Amino acid sequence: MAELMPGRKRVTSGAIAADILLVMWFVFSLFPILWMVLLALKSSAEQTSTYFAFTPTLENFGTVVSQRGQDLTSVDFTSAILNSILNCAGAVIVSLVVGIPAAYAAGRWKYRGSEDLMFQMLSFRFAPELMVIVPLFVIYNQVGLFDTTFGQIWVLQLVSMPLVVWILRSYFQDLSPELEQAALLDGYTRKRAFVMVALPLVRPGIAAAALLAFIFAWNNYVFPLILTDSAATPVTVAVTKFLGGGGQAYYNLTAAAALIGALPPLILALTIQRYLVRGLSFGAVKA
Amino acid sequence: MATVEIENMTKRYGKITAVDGMSLSLGDGEFFVVLGPSGAGKTTTLKSVAGLVDIDEGEVKIGGRTMTQIEPYQRNVGMAFESYALYPQKTVFENLASPLKSGRTGTYSTQDQKQRIDLVTTTLGINPLLKRFPRELSNGQRQRVALGRVLVREADVYLLDEPLSHLDAKLRAAMRAELKQLGEMSNTTSLYVTHDYQEALSLGDRIAVLHHGTVVQVGTPEQIWQEPTNAFVAKELGQPEINLIDAEVVDGHVRQVNGGIEFPVPHDVDLARGQRVRLGIRPSDLELVTPDSRSGPEWLRVNGTVELAERLGRNVELAVHVGAVEVIVLTSSEHTAHEGETVEIQVRLREVHIFEHGEDDDDCVRVGAAAPRERATATPAPQSEGEHAGRRG
Repeated sequence: MAELMPGRKRVTSGAIAADILLVMWFVFSLFPILWMVLLALKSSAEQTSTYFAFTPTLENFGTVVSQRGQDLTSVDFTSAILNSILNCAGAVIVSLVVGIPAAYAAGRWKYRGSEDLMFQMLSFRFAPELMVIVPLFVIYNQVGLFDTTFGQIWVLQLVSMPLVVWILRSYFQDLSPELEQAALLDGYTRKRAFVMVALPLVRPGIAAAALLAFIFAWNNYVFPLILTDSAATPVTVAVTKFLGGGGQAYYNLTAAAALIGALPPLILALTIQRYLVRGLSFGAVKA
Repeated sequence: MATVEIENMTKRYGKITAVDGMSLSLGDGEFFVVLGPSGAGKTTTLKSVAGLVDIDEGEVKIGGRTMTQIEPYQRNVGMAFESYALYPQKTVFENLASPLKSGRTGTYSTQDQKQRIDLVTTTLGINPLLKRFPRELSNGQRQRVALGRVLVREADVYLLDEPLSHLDAKLRAAMRAELKQLGEMSNTTSLYVTHDYQEALSLGDRIAVLHHGTVVQVGTPEQIWQEPTNAFVAKELGQPEINLIDAEVVDGHVRQVNGGIEFPVPHDVDLARGQRVRLGIRPSDLELVTPDSRSGPEWLRVNGTVELAERLGRNVELAVHVGAVEVIVLTSSEHTAHEGETVEIQVRLREVHIFEHGEDDDDCVRVGAAAPRERATATPAPQSEGEHAGRRG
């Protein structure tokens, strides 16, 4: 049975063409990241040169997080990172506290309009943020939520909540309701059956949903751009300040700041890669 | 311990009626078996008693109390699910301890809990598995843990959903015997659901046969076996299935259509001239006629040709052509015949069931037997349906 030997495959011209296309796609999609890394390592003098040969320096990273960076942009990049962490963590916590019970209810009980309600929630993700930003800006100014951490948590939760509910609903649906029924007959109330039986079993789902929600909130740009000024400004907005508003554009510093800003979600994504794929499939894969 | 009454219960899932106007009444401590093919509404019946599904009509009473407004965790019933429903994140021990820890099934000290779990796991033969997780068990072991989670606690009613279905044949037979003793031991009213007629006959104090969500017959195992209400019940019990043979009433005789089976119309059965009937003869009641066979007026004999002989260990299953129909005969391997051979087979007249002729098996209502059953061999069990018959009740 030579043809069934593992690791042996007939090489066809079609396969070679497919490989070449894949490599081209790979280069194409990674090139901006490569460009950004190179730019971040260039000194100010070399930042606009298009040669690949240059003297690499780590100086930019130091500049970005130091007082010098703040002097250039009037934004404290270190506190912007802290703001991002605070805003996103807050939004995720709110989303979990409200979203887990909501997902459980949505996964367990069907009623008239329950699907519509779920779809309506998902549609927050379809609607362009710019559509609601003007009324939101007016409201935020009126009630004093402009440029506050609480205000940011409140608006980012709009981004993360639908994710949490949709991902976790599919996890709860995959769980046999007979498990909770058994707990009911063991003498536990519905609430305790939920906490004791259902909740521990969807822990991987909660991890995936929480981190995915965190990343989505982290990457959000439009809401904080309009709804913060300086005190609650997150990384995404702070990065762009290095491009200068009318003054000189520090492309190398922008690249360095963007790299720093991309690190936390990247690290998170890599650590939970396994769960992420499952979470992103929205339960299409029944495991 | 408590009685259970199901009164006029109906449960619909959308357009499908799972249980249709069911009424059952279980005596205190009775072991009651619900027998039926898949989709007959057995599991729905159990879950309705447990309160896990909301019934559309009728009511369930446990110990005389109407359960309509009572939550499942307040009903004091234990249930073994067909899907086991073991908590995957808990060990076998923790699974078994779960009902003892809720506080609603009684208060047990840690020592009591250990003792009870020990007792149950020893009886069920799962004692060495206490530290394992459900995913590390075979299906048979899981099923026994699920059963253990019910038996470990005291309850008004035990609800058992096919608790032996996933065991292999040998273990199932052993557990069947075991379970009966367990039932005797704990003496708790039990509602046991199965599609296996042998389990039903051997375990049940009484049996209810279910079809399309309605109760077709309720009775003791003897009653159900000897006097099935209709052809459906007769077919549900016995493997191989009961032979059903078309016949008609001619000249004071019941005569097989295009065949050799014939006997006089029994005096206690009301049959009109020309009426079409269906005869039911169980394969195990038929035997091959040999020189030293018993004979006499109570025996009905008929000739046929052996089409197929299938050896099943000690028994041989013969497919015998009698007239136009194929009759299955279950015979011992000492008295068998070869394929193609012409044989004479016989059955006691009282084992020949007479059903009305109908379109559906459900319409074939039993009207009697070819001969009355003698009192001596008749069942000593009470005949009235309302009475709570039982070996333990």
